[in-house]
Amino acid sequence: MKKTASLLVLALAASAVAAADPVEICSPGLKPSQMDAEGRLVEDWAKVGVKLFGEGVADGPIRVEATKVDGRIPAAEALSPRGPVTLRWTAYRAPIWPVGVDVLTVRVEEAAGQPADVTVALDVPAGVQLGPRTARLGRRTVLTLPEEALKEQPLREWGYADEAATLAGWGKPDVKCDPAFRNIRAGMGGVPIVYRFSVTPKSAANVVLGFCESHWAEPAKRPLACRVEGATPQQVDPVAAWGRHKPGALVFAARDENGDGRLEVAVGPAPGASDRNPILSAVWIFPPGDPPKPEKVVSGALSAAAIRYVDVGGENDQSIYPPGKLEYRLKIPAGEARELVFCVACPGGSAPSPDSSPWTPETLRQAAAEVWRDWPQP
Amino acid sequence: MCTHHSDHSPNACQGCFSRRDCVKLLSLAGLGAAAAGGSLLRAAEAQEDVAPTDYVDPATLRPQPEVRFGAAFLELPRPYWLGWPGTTYDLDGHQKEYRGLLEQSAKRLGVKVALEPKPISDIEGVGKWLAGVGRQPPHALLVMLQEIHTWPWINQIAEESGLPVVVFAPVGTAFTGHVGRGSRLPHTHVISSLEWPAVEAAMQMVRAKRRFEETRLLWIRKDERNETVMERLGVKVRAIPRDTFNLEFDKQPVTSEVKDLASDLRKKAHKIVEPTDQDTVNSMRAYATAKRLLAAEKANALSMDCLGMVRANLVPTPPCGAWTMLQDQGITAGCEADLFGAMSLMMTSYLLDRPGYMNDPVPETYKNLLIAAHCTSGTRLEGFDKPPAPYVLRDHSESSLGVAMQVLWPEGQPVTLVRFSNANEMIIDTGKVVSNVQTPPAGGCRTSVEIQMDGIEDCRDVKGFHQVVVLGNHRRQLQGFCDLYGITHVRSPGQSTFAAGGTV
Repeated sequence: MKKTASLLVLALAASAVAAADPVEICSPGLKPSQMDAEGRLVEDWAKVGVKLFGEGVADGPIRVEATKVDGRIPAAEALSPRGPVTLRWTAYRAPIWPVGVDVLTVRVEEAAGQPADVTVALDVPAGVQLGPRTARLGRRTVLTLPEEALKEQPLREWGYADEAATLAGWGKPDVKCDPAFRNIRAGMGGVPIVYRFSVTPKSAANVVLGFCESHWAEPAKRPLACRVEGATPQQVDPVAAWGRHKPGALVFAARDENGDGRLEVAVGPAPGASDRNPILSAVWIFPPGDPPKPEKVVSGALSAAAIRYVDVGGENDQSIYPPGKLEYRLKIPAGEARELVFCVACPGGSAPSPDSSPWTPETLRQAAAEVWRDWPQP
Repeated sequence: MCTHHSDHSPNACQGCFSRRDCVKLLSLAGLGAAAAGGSLLRAAEAQEDVAPTDYVDPATLRPQPEVRFGAAFLELPRPYWLGWPGTTYDLDGHQKEYRGLLEQSAKRLGVKVALEPKPISDIEGVGKWLAGVGRQPPHALLVMLQEIHTWPWINQIAEESGLPVVVFAPVGTAFTGHVGRGSRLPHTHVISSLEWPAVEAAMQMVRAKRRFEETRLLWIRKDERNETVMERLGVKVRAIPRDTFNLEFDKQPVTSEVKDLASDLRKKAHKIVEPTDQDTVNSMRAYATAKRLLAAEKANALSMDCLGMVRANLVPTPPCGAWTMLQDQGITAGCEADLFGAMSLMMTSYLLDRPGYMNDPVPETYKNLLIAAHCTSGTRLEGFDKPPAPYVLRDHSESSLGVAMQVLWPEGQPVTLVRFSNANEMIIDTGKVVSNVQTPPAGGCRTSVEIQMDGIEDCRDVKGFHQVVVLGNHRRQLQGFCDLYGITHVRSPGQSTFAAGGTV
């Protein structure tokens, strides 16, 4: 009887919320975002929803209300009982320079006295590309993912596994060449560009990397350090080697050295590079044996013969992580709770990249608390 | 208790309560009839009341954070037999000496050090120490090595504490490999030396970081009001509308402070070229306005869209002369709302306790020198507590308005150029002052210094813009700061990038 009454109360609360105003997520002077009555974060790039599923997990009403984190930071909180577990998510604005970021904490509490095995999912638009610790929409980093992210995510046959940016049409090759030289990916801030390819464990291959520098006219600005698994690392200064707007290629005798069935390719800034944003235009994988002639590869004549041909930054380039829902499996001991913390790009901003930014959930919260200490509450 | 000091040094009024109390007390004391102008800078609750006639002690504007260190000696069980530092090494004697030096440094720098009473002599002791410091976390750890085999413990200290770690390895406790590996640990600064000043310099790095963390910088530009926090450095950036400054300037009366400072400025000048009495008075009104704004906003530093304000004819004087004054008092005053220029000025102020100036760099290609020019150099080039460099009172060259100092930098002396490209990267270059460039015949800004750059083959390759020029070669100390706080440091290319040709 008591249980029925509480469920009724929850249902009433939920129906009341459906008609309620969204809760604003704000920080002094910054453009606010909102949590709507369904608990979705309403940003300028998407409505980000939180889902929960797993054995025994039931549907439940969602109650959204304004709250304060640490008694001071204005926040929106959604609460939803889901049978044996309770799902609670909170969002506040961390005022990081220049426009802030929304911090979304998803907490699952085991409430039935039994260990729970559940999956938390974030609903994001289909076009979002996943990296190891971030999700991007075009050039914009829209999510920073928790450290435990994607560990159990299935991987594709090949794809990038980095936090680099896609810059289609950046290359301006001024000679006839493979079309891949018109696109690049760039590791802004020194982030290495990393690709992984499924191969037969311990097998060998010829890997060719293609480059075309279309920004710098002078040599020594953007020398690159290239590593291909099993091959001798090589450094190249594209302008010195081939010239500005001139495509060029390096050939590597590669091998799946660690036998994990994945061949890894990485391009980073060479030590001492003044421009530390590495670039990469194309990757070809050819069978082992006589290495292909770089000029023929550059011309595009061998692309069809390659085992794998990647127009880096082009239309068919892809993340090694499949797109779609971001899912996190949580095993929760009886009576305990687990939390996941995401940074969500707010209006006009990007989420910080863990590769180059020192922000942590603790320091984000501290920043918000420090700013709100001297401002009137909304 | 605050008084209207005739000595406007940053260390004046050390016995004050808080800034808030200080300002209010003075306000109540009616230092120059509080009602004049009737203006209060109160547009939001984030601000405090400061009347145009209030005297704001500049010393209260510089952040004075609490800085805590946890410290320990690391040794192996005694007695020593073979291995460095060797049986003859006087452990008790050295530890007594270092304890004393540490105490003196802490006192000098105004920081707190919790030194373990006994040396730690095994890995379990390290674990216990780290567990203990976790209860009231210090801002950094200092470990003083007394045996070469204690190096493996440093990894544990760096990884488990998550804190910046200063490792002092007196000569006899480390080889190249130890120092190299230790230096590559995150947030770790290794000192392999017998020179105690290097340890004190490292303590200054931690204090500088705390000063960053306790700083609120006013970003005076556009028409927005908000507050954000700069990553890694922790500086709070409060954006306020540009008009705030000129509107407050308009309300700023000529107080006795303004009069005294203006007269002082002229009296102490090596030479006066353009500025009239009224120009100097206006310049000091800008100074008083800036202090009031800082106090009202509970801020410690500022950077303003000064050129935009001058372009729009909103003020009779650019703030250059006022900014020089603030810089000399340890209060960062940046030009052109260049945020990372201001952070770089803050770096020299907070770490090196001396002002610099952000500059527009000009390669002098005939002599292969760099000319660093701007209108807002500080004068206390050797330190806030040291005598000022001579200066010539000039106007702001681009507008021919107001007061800007041509500070005469000492020829032949080393200088450092430092610039945060962003919060995660710092450009550090060094050089030597060759001469002070006169305007005219040259155009451009009033303080204009020719610099022979160190280890840069071609002056056209010098990296950055609005780099801050500061007297002395501080490369090692700046690099140490970067190492402790995860900031990449880069330098301009040694070899000419023009050598191989290439066209734009």
